[in-house]
Amino acid sequence: MSAQPTGSPSSEANAGWAVFGTLLAGLLVWGGVGYLLGRWLDVAALFPIGLLLGAAAATYSVYVRYGRSS
Amino acid sequence: MLTRLGAAGEGYVAPSLGAFLFDPWVHWTSFGHEFYINKVIGLLFFGCLAVGAFFLLAFRNPKVVPGPLQNVAESFYDFIRNGIGRDVIGPEGVKYAPYLTILFFFVLIMNLYGILPVAQVPVTSRIAFPAFLAAMSWVIFNYVGIRRKGLGPYFKEIAFPPGVPKAVYVLLTPIELVSTLLVRPFSLAVRLFANMFAGHILLLVFATATVYLLNAPNFSKIFALVSFPMAVILTGFELLVEVLQAYIFTILTAVYISGALAEEH
Repeated sequence: MSAQPTGSPSSEANAGWAVFGTLLAGLLVWGGVGYLLGRWLDVAALFPIGLLLGAAAATYSVYVRYGRSS
Repeated sequence: MLTRLGAAGEGYVAPSLGAFLFDPWVHWTSFGHEFYINKVIGLLFFGCLAVGAFFLLAFRNPKVVPGPLQNVAESFYDFIRNGIGRDVIGPEGVKYAPYLTILFFFVLIMNLYGILPVAQVPVTSRIAFPAFLAAMSWVIFNYVGIRRKGLGPYFKEIAFPPGVPKAVYVLLTPIELVSTLLVRPFSLAVRLFANMFAGHILLLVFATATVYLLNAPNFSKIFALVSFPMAVILTGFELLVEVLQAYIFTILTAVYISGALAEEH
């Protein structure tokens, strides 16, 4: 039972939920942007490109927030 | 399989959305809106009264050496205060323990209705209830964060994770904002709702299938020997899921409050 929340084991497990949320948000935001741009410009490939970009950015964000501190 | 059963004549009718819709006990119109009180609302009122009455009675006349009721209520409260408030948020988490305790027991009883005789429908399987509770958690963690850090710094901390090249923020900031401000409340509500909804459907399928198979005209009757134990086992499983989901909802609310309070390292 440590005073600092980031150190306690329960919050380590709960980081999993936050990671899940970030990854989902990455796919939603950039996948969504890719999908809409693809529809507008009539380039079908923009949707998968957006999804990949979102996944990569979300993974990087997870690394920045949770990977580096430990 | 269910459709194949249904192919021969009337057949088995699988439980549908109708299982979640109840006829109003009373309804009236005021301010141009129609209001209903049905079974779900009745269960909601009763649950609020039960949880409220329990804690009021237990702590109405607190003693240094607690009586049996106060003893039970205190151990419940200690469990949430220490197990969630202090462990997740830290020493100042004790301040949020009353809300977390009431939240836990409210969600718990709304879930447990799913396997309680007579009630037999989880109130939280109607999306409005989890959605409102998630909205409350959202308001609380944002309010707490803004009050602690100020409006600007709070959103800056959400939107701009430190130690990232500036150009990358173009990619990361939308993700961080959506993840914290939209995905969090949405997943909180949907996780509770979907678990309760699916669990209730599961119980209904095996319970109604048992009745259907018992009334089958041929040897199919013996399959009731499979579906009935499944209904019993799944009732036990639902008990586990209902307690677990109430716990997860409470602990995630605490995690979000803790995240809003924590200083960025």
